[in-house]
Amino acid sequence: MRGEAFQDNFLGKVKKAILDWKINGFVLFNRLMETRDFDVICIGAGGAGVAAAVSAARAGARVAVLSKEPIGYGDTRISKGVMAYAGLYPGDSPGEFYRDLIQGGEHLNDGDLARTVSQETALAVLTIEGFGHLFCRDEGGRITSEVLSPAGGHRFPRGLISPSEGVSMGNALRAAIARAGIAVFEETMAVKLYSEEGRIHGLLALHLLSGEAVFFRAASVVLATGGAGWLYYPHTDCLQSATGDGFSLAYEAGAELIDMEQVQFIPFGITHPRPFIGLLCGEPATAGPFGRLLNNKGEVILEGINTMTRAQVARAICMEVERGGGTRHQGLILDLSPNLAHPKGLKAREKMKEIGIFEPVREAYGERAYDWEEPWDVSPTAHYHMGGIRADSEGRTGIKGLYAAGQAQGGIHGGNRLGSVSLAEVFIFGRRAGRSAAQSALGGVRGKINRVESLITADVQELKSLYGSRGSYRPIKLKRRLQELMWKKVGVLREEGKLKEALEELGELEALSRDLSISPIKRLNREVQDALELRMMLNVAKAMALSALERKESRGAHVRLDFPQRDDFGWRRNILVWKEGMEMKVRAEEVRN
Amino acid sequence: MRRAKIRISRFNPDIDKTPYWQEYQVPWEKGDTVLGALIYIYEELDPTLAFRFGCRYKKCGLCAVEVEGRPRLACLAGLKKEMEVSPLRNLPIARDLAIDRGFFYHRLAELKLYIPEQESMKWPAVIKEGIQHKRLIGCVECLSCLSACPHYDYRDTTFGGPYLFVKLAQLHFDSRDKIDRRFQARTLGIERCKGCRYWGRCVPCTSGIPIFKDAIRPLS
Repeated sequence: MRGEAFQDNFLGKVKKAILDWKINGFVLFNRLMETRDFDVICIGAGGAGVAAAVSAARAGARVAVLSKEPIGYGDTRISKGVMAYAGLYPGDSPGEFYRDLIQGGEHLNDGDLARTVSQETALAVLTIEGFGHLFCRDEGGRITSEVLSPAGGHRFPRGLISPSEGVSMGNALRAAIARAGIAVFEETMAVKLYSEEGRIHGLLALHLLSGEAVFFRAASVVLATGGAGWLYYPHTDCLQSATGDGFSLAYEAGAELIDMEQVQFIPFGITHPRPFIGLLCGEPATAGPFGRLLNNKGEVILEGINTMTRAQVARAICMEVERGGGTRHQGLILDLSPNLAHPKGLKAREKMKEIGIFEPVREAYGERAYDWEEPWDVSPTAHYHMGGIRADSEGRTGIKGLYAAGQAQGGIHGGNRLGSVSLAEVFIFGRRAGRSAAQSALGGVRGKINRVESLITADVQELKSLYGSRGSYRPIKLKRRLQELMWKKVGVLREEGKLKEALEELGELEALSRDLSISPIKRLNREVQDALELRMMLNVAKAMALSALERKESRGAHVRLDFPQRDDFGWRRNILVWKEGMEMKVRAEEVRN
Repeated sequence: MRRAKIRISRFNPDIDKTPYWQEYQVPWEKGDTVLGALIYIYEELDPTLAFRFGCRYKKCGLCAVEVEGRPRLACLAGLKKEMEVSPLRNLPIARDLAIDRGFFYHRLAELKLYIPEQESMKWPAVIKEGIQHKRLIGCVECLSCLSACPHYDYRDTTFGGPYLFVKLAQLHFDSRDKIDRRFQARTLGIERCKGCRYWGRCVPCTSGIPIFKDAIRPLS
């Protein structure tokens, strides 16, 4: 569709732009780059971005979706496809679900957001099925309490299973965007948001395939960019595009980030061989009733795993590794074989095989491990960011016209996310953010683009100068240094000394990141993408380290070795990070109930 | 340390007239994959290499390439002592091993490959899902099948190729869909499959979908 214009040569582009200008009347063209005009732009095309785009289009807005990857390729697509549906199981209700969310989130959740999730899961199911997905049903084709599977931290079974994990959800997202006739810009990376007097005007993006800059003018922007798992590569099971772009874009635009220290490490990730490090191979609930964790001497470290939260188990593993009980691959041994002697354990194995959560085990450790007959190595892996952009239940951030939804939004899950809730929440808040973004765009007054034009021109020149820049450091090398630093010093277990070291080293990396060496190729230049992502990752990493330093207690996924206890008296508070001048500021604030 | 020799097909449509081979030597340990080797080359040997990947484990389908002339997901293909890696065939090359995928999204929109808008409901619908549908929706859209198909060429829009037939079959077996997908398959030249040397089995699928049995036959 429109994205094709970028691939034409320069003359072709001029023609196309003039044509666009003639057709639309309002599309500006300046000699520097293409300019496009929309009411609402959604950045990110996973569950939240697509739900937002579709609901904004339904509300009558002219909508565009930008995605670094093809449309529909986000962590939604590579998820296990298990989605929470509350209130169906006998005795369950939105109220019960809310209590589980708060309990699981260790009282850090924004009350409004958690209430909204607890009440609207049915709507989320209808949304994704309306896009074309189908959840597993009973023999009569119904979704009943019998098809629900249990998950850790939920007192009632609430998980709807998808026949082919998240893949069919990803396909349904592509179908939904096509059906709604929304303009798509695939392989297009948002680089910077522009705001004036606290209102969003538009954004600068880079079309990665052609290397051309594009300016998008928009009254509303929805950030649905997902999380930042890639800050811990290879210790993550997230998509490589999860580099926290939305966190950084929002921060730079003046919005607040909340509880950035809260990163969910799922306890069971693959430890070897090399290519499979960090891939998800289970969570506490999948350990069955009799699974146990052993250290390198064969001593039992943990039992009753399936009733514990992800944070508790991840913490136990890292503590034991820290004490010297780890395996050769810096993990512990997960032994699920005791389950095989019990009917309940066998039933658990079949259910988990149906969900498909152990698939990578077969590839990495072999068939016997996959059948639970042999124990295998596990180590925590970064899975999800509970922290993120602070936004209300309509997705509104502190900046007018700027919205956040999905994993990019923070505060919903508090200190720990329960399994299956994320897939429900992306559609709930995506829908809401899209709707309110459209309403605001259609009803509001727009700022004049020329007021920021000189600023944009400078940014475009800077973007173009990345191609062929002859500095000293390759962006990928700095990225790898940042990732190693995050895993070692802002990982599962934290302490003041290491966090301060991390902040110092991040400052050094930031300085080095201004001295880059990049090849001049315009077409699909991975190094330019790395350079832009590196900048964003540096902001995100700093926000995370600073928040982790600020929270002087252990709560949820955040574990401080120097403050090992939860402090309900002093720390039932959210940590907020924002930009003031050129400085990153941090403060703590009472949790909103 | 053992090393593997890997020959990669390079091509930049802006500069090169034809693709050419370039050889690299990479460290080689037990369990290493082709994707691991590509990442190593990009990081250590050649910053200009273009390739795609996403999830590192067969869910995104972005890393599909031809290994020794056969389409594979690079994340699952084991590294060997000597091997050749090239982009998927019959598809537009963006650069080196990366194919231009934008095309497929537009086909999706053009052919209306989606179910109609559902009436606003209060409760999930009663839907009996057949086993074929369950298998078909496992398609990760890696496009490997198009690379192996002897009739497919992206420039020839009169033949849909196995990927589009799988997409059509997904909808054909979805009780919510209202469009005649068999008719669409005919307009996309499915009868050309009848003269094919793969008739009766069709090309291999990285997600294990029996493409002939579940898509080509029911549609033709």
